[in-house]
Amino acid sequence: MPVFGKAIHALARIGDELWLDPMVKGLAVRSVNSAHSAYACFCFSPLFFQRYCPNTGPAGACGTVKCKLVMKSLLPLFRCLATIERNVDCCQISINLPDNRVIFQFHCRHGITKTHNLGFQESEALQAVFSSHLCPNVLKAQARLLGDMVMHFPVSQEEITLSMSPLRVNLKNYYEEDKDRIKAMHTKMSLDPSEFDYFQVGVDSDITFCLKELRGFLSFAESYGLPVSVHFGAAGKPVSFSMEDMVLEANVVLATLVDPESKTLSQATDVPPPAALRCGGVGEPMEKDGDAAPPQAQRFPSGNELVVSSQGSPVTGGAAPPCVTRTEGFDRLRTPPQAHAGPGITAPDSSEVHSLLFGAMSCEQGFGRSSVLPSLVCSSDTEDDGRL
Amino acid sequence: MLLSTHSQTVDDNYVLVASLDNVRNLSNILKAITFKDHAIFNATPNGLKVTVEDSKCLQANAFIQAEIFQEFTIKEDSVGFQINLTVLLDCLTIFGGSTVAGVTTALRMCYNGYGYPLTLFLEEGGVVTVCKINTQEPEEPIDFEFCSTNVTNKVILQSESLKEAFSELDMTSEVLQITMSPSQPYFRLSTFGNSGNAHYDYPKDSDMMELFQCSKTQTNRYRMSLLKPSTKALALSCKVSVRTDSRGFLSLQYLVRNDDGQICFVEYYCCPDEEAEEEY
Repeated sequence: MPVFGKAIHALARIGDELWLDPMVKGLAVRSVNSAHSAYACFCFSPLFFQRYCPNTGPAGACGTVKCKLVMKSLLPLFRCLATIERNVDCCQISINLPDNRVIFQFHCRHGITKTHNLGFQESEALQAVFSSHLCPNVLKAQARLLGDMVMHFPVSQEEITLSMSPLRVNLKNYYEEDKDRIKAMHTKMSLDPSEFDYFQVGVDSDITFCLKELRGFLSFAESYGLPVSVHFGAAGKPVSFSMEDMVLEANVVLATLVDPESKTLSQATDVPPPAALRCGGVGEPMEKDGDAAPPQAQRFPSGNELVVSSQGSPVTGGAAPPCVTRTEGFDRLRTPPQAHAGPGITAPDSSEVHSLLFGAMSCEQGFGRSSVLPSLVCSSDTEDDGRL
Repeated sequence: MLLSTHSQTVDDNYVLVASLDNVRNLSNILKAITFKDHAIFNATPNGLKVTVEDSKCLQANAFIQAEIFQEFTIKEDSVGFQINLTVLLDCLTIFGGSTVAGVTTALRMCYNGYGYPLTLFLEEGGVVTVCKINTQEPEEPIDFEFCSTNVTNKVILQSESLKEAFSELDMTSEVLQITMSPSQPYFRLSTFGNSGNAHYDYPKDSDMMELFQCSKTQTNRYRMSLLKPSTKALALSCKVSVRTDSRGFLSLQYLVRNDDGQICFVEYYCCPDEEAEEEY
């Protein structure tokens, strides 16, 4: 029970809404931030629960329902974890389809029962597709080590930069160039590869991502006590933090800042990303498109290119979908007036973040349908592919 | 004690004199009913009753028996006045809320009668403060006509179990619905907020339930804003009795133990919400 509550707390640090997705293989609880640059997913296998019965009641054609809850309604139920641990004997979660309610029933000490009926919105599945097994760089460490690393950064620190080379792993805070550098406190720590349980460097890279959104996950991992794996590639590509055991899989995928130096590179989507150029030789499996979704995830346009969003819009081959461009700050989502253009577009020279694009795709849409979209979203059918 | 020697000479003028070695035995209980500025004081030989009302729908009473006071002298059958409760509490706590062991603030409260201010002598560590607070014509407290013979349902619960529920109550709900029934769900608190409903069920055989006397199923709604102040009384109390009568009026009685372990009572009366009730 407290573990579930802690997962909710970690998800609450990411986004304002929670996706509840009961599947045969387990209960997935997910959240994404409003800028779509951070995504978290906790998947509890049936073993985690005393009793797990998906598909009770008149299940729809898709098998199970996907619910979207407002985080503000759900978080108070799990607000005080210490009290829950002390008082709650068990919690029953059920979904009432006709009334559009998710029911959380807490059976507490002294025979007291607390029942919360929360309204939900039926929603398409939310899932980020991120092929971590294709990432050139992998770190694995006890959550405690990562927690100790980030502990040195002030709570207000928004973003940090993780640098990896065969010799060292560095972590330093990230500050914007034009801000007053004198006032900022610069922190940098350097670790030897031997400190990690697993260390694989495929390409030297510096990735900058949002620390705040990661903290919730790290504190969950520390209390749960599992090692955390970090998968990433070059700057601009997402980074994934994950952990798993028999009963639980959890991960957070964060967008990373694009290296401003790569602005000058060609923007065509079929040009290999700068990572290949930089380390000269790491083969990105870019060319075998048409296969499953994962290769597409790698097809991340570098530089300051307008990235197409599939958010909410049915993407057809020829139509010009609305574009999203992300600027620094992680919290602004703008739709530029012009439609998606091809290569050659340069965006304003402030560093940009490539968003992890999540589209609420329906079950029917195939995932390999458009090579133009460098989206990370995969339809709900492909839960096996792009497993996080 | 300093205070008694000081005012002995003018004792004859007072119609009411009450003294406490520890002013907190009064101030703590008054804090439990301070949701409005004005309170009606009524002193009888039995003790002190302080009443606060809100919009004619809610009434809170605090009872401090004469035995609680180290000295309680009253020259008339009933002495009443209205006073600003916020100001009174500020004066009673004028030495601050320090809970240093062994140090208490002593109080001597004196009232000359109609038209005179209420005089407070407070002493701590040799320092004496004198406060005079103006009094007003006392209004007649509403008589909710809540009598024991009309009570349909009554439960007595240990406060601990209710404290948690009240602290978690969904404040976006305009009403608090109380269901009492001889059958399931026995005793239920419900809220209807923006995100959905919540129900807190207390079975009749729960070990938190000290008394369960429900003769018929009743569901009543009360405005959350009216009942919210009662949480303060709940926090101080160790037991609470919840009663509803045939009209749906609610009586909450809280048993409060003060610093010295003595028992005082706080009670709240509340009218049911008259708006059309829909079934959720």
